Amino acid sequence: MSLAAGPGRGHVTVGQLPDELNLVVEKHISYIQDLDTRRDELEYHLTEHLRTGGIYWGLTALHLLGRPDALPREGLIEYVLSCLHDNGGFGAAPGHDAHILYTGYSVQILTMIDGFDELEKKMPDCNGKIAAFVASLQQPDGRFAGDEWGETDTRFLFSAFYTLSLLGYMPHQHPNEPPIIDVSAATAHIKACRNFDGAFGVAPGAESHSGQVFTCCGALAIAGELDSYLGEVGKDRLGAWLSERQLPSGGLNGRPEKLVDVCYSWWVMSSLAMIGRLHWIDKAKLTAFILQSQDPEEGGIADRPGDMVDVFHTVFGIAGLSLIGYPGLVEVDPA
Amino acid sequence: MASHGIPRVSGGTPDKSEQAREKEQKQIEQYKALEKSVVERVRSKDYSNDTFQATSQLLTQNPEYYTIWNYRRLLLQDVFAKEQDRKEQPETKDIEAAEKEGLTPPQREISLLIKEDLQFLVPLLKQYPKCYWIWNHRSWLLGTATRLLPPRNSSELWQSELGLVSKMLSLDSRNFHGWGYRREVVAEIERLSASSMVEKEFGYTTKMIQTNLSNFSAWHYRSQLIPRLLSERQADSEARRAFSDAEFELITKALYTDPYDQSLWFYHGYLMSTLNPANAQAPPILDPCTNAERLHYLEQEIENVKDMLDGAEDCKYIYQSLLELSERYLEVEAGNKVVISQEMMAWLIELRKIDPLRVGRWRDLEVKLKF
Ligand SMILES: [Zn+2]
Repeated sequence: MSLAAGPGRGHVTVGQLPDELNLVVEKHISYIQDLDTRRDELEYHLTEHLRTGGIYWGLTALHLLGRPDALPREGLIEYVLSCLHDNGGFGAAPGHDAHILYTGYSVQILTMIDGFDELEKKMPDCNGKIAAFVASLQQPDGRFAGDEWGETDTRFLFSAFYTLSLLGYMPHQHPNEPPIIDVSAATAHIKACRNFDGAFGVAPGAESHSGQVFTCCGALAIAGELDSYLGEVGKDRLGAWLSERQLPSGGLNGRPEKLVDVCYSWWVMSSLAMIGRLHWIDKAKLTAFILQSQDPEEGGIADRPGDMVDVFHTVFGIAGLSLIGYPGLVEVDPA
Repeated sequence: MASHGIPRVSGGTPDKSEQAREKEQKQIEQYKALEKSVVERVRSKDYSNDTFQATSQLLTQNPEYYTIWNYRRLLLQDVFAKEQDRKEQPETKDIEAAEKEGLTPPQREISLLIKEDLQFLVPLLKQYPKCYWIWNHRSWLLGTATRLLPPRNSSELWQSELGLVSKMLSLDSRNFHGWGYRREVVAEIERLSASSMVEKEFGYTTKMIQTNLSNFSAWHYRSQLIPRLLSERQADSEARRAFSDAEFELITKALYTDPYDQSLWFYHGYLMSTLNPANAQAPPILDPCTNAERLHYLEQEIENVKDMLDGAEDCKYIYQSLLELSERYLEVEAGNKVVISQEMMAWLIELRKIDPLRVGRWRDLEVKLKF
């Protein structure tokens, strides 16, 4: 069981879209189901390093569409477990090296399909081993590396936090045991990534970026520090920056003066939701923008209207719609 | 990571000709065979030059394949270790060549290998400037040079990175990988040379801005350099005041030319934040920074920004700025409340009209300002 994460197919020219747009739920479901049948395309093989991510995105989209069983559970479990390494980390595909991002995606998938019994059968005390793998990647300055090669990024820190949290290994979940990571060093690093404009960058000194706002706010939320750290003034400042991401087309961009892109529907909107400022953008216009980015014939959502669809933009478009409260979708948790 | 900006074409995959399909199957077979050979060689610990060349071939086809970058580093580490453990006596000409560069023969070999690999990355970076793994690998090579080579030689390598990253940023001035790498390179050169580059880097941002005023990332970098710049200049209160005035003049002039440019408002907002002690992310430029100074700048900027409305009555950034400046003004000095509140209400009404997307935010602001 594996899904192609790369560009999808589709053969509709722009300009044929009906005025009254609807989410083409059934087509999105079959688009995701068919991703695994595309081994005859070079793109399928060139994107193998994203496979676990692709499965996580596809599965999340199906959950939001109310069809969590649309992918066969046995196949998913078998695939995810085949990416597990002895050190407790997961790779993106069988044989690929362990990495914190794919470990995070794998744990998310196992949570969604309730696969921890099978995991335990494959490797006893696996939860503890995964947690130890994640904890081992924390650096003395609080940051997290992606793997043994040491690249650090706030995405990895967020991934570490949610993985440990799903496994029940965050220090606050075990108040009577010695903590396996240094939470305050990690949150201190996040705070150092904050800029005067209220938003967060990828490292201290880096310009603000919506993706990083999401990972930083998400991590602070898991640590229980988001509200106290930002306060109302900080939320207003961050909310102002986030709301400026909406452009007249209704779509959102990731940074000032960049193009709109459906994936930011998720990064920006979930951040706005976490700070209680979701009403600071025009939801109807964003809804229309996401729906226009669908391939109404073959299913899937693209970065912008008229572009090639892929599973990554499909899930972030649907998750954005779910946050807006689009009818018929399962409600999503912003963090 | 995902597809961006690739147009959806009419008649995609299903209409592929038989010929095109055959060609694609052949490409897939070749790719899978190459992948298989690399993986098998590395698993059987065949750390030969052939294996290394095969990783080059595979990464050129697919630079996102992170596991293969890891393999490449394993191979390089292995060669470096063998060079350092080499027992046999090197040839005289190699000893001489190394001595000329102030290196031992193994160090010279390592240095050559690192340079060669840096060279391998250049066309890849140009083709895939947003690929995390290529930037990573480059940074690993440089870090390894620092560990294994004498400071003089590794410094040289870091120095030439500055040229490369400047070229990358001139191709795309918003590439955040490029800016992140620049910060890393500068920090390392400063560490190795035990001297500051802050004046040079500040000059670099001036040059970038002169080339293109609407250079968001350059304005950002400039704002980041200022606290260190002033402290290294040991600027006294007069020098700081002069610096602040000059920056305000620079940005105000630019804003008069184009009040619709967000990058300029960003920098203006930064300068104003340095006057706000509640914004810990913008340390003060002035020292001391008194309320009298704050009022001076607030009054000056409220006047300047009001002037910008002339001919740009539909520019939302002007109203936003006026509202922010006035809000701050009332926080610092509440005396003039009546006049300014009336103006603020008028600006807010205008803003709601020209910026309907954020009407919820403007409604909240109205409640907060208690009009
Ligand atoms: Zn995108």
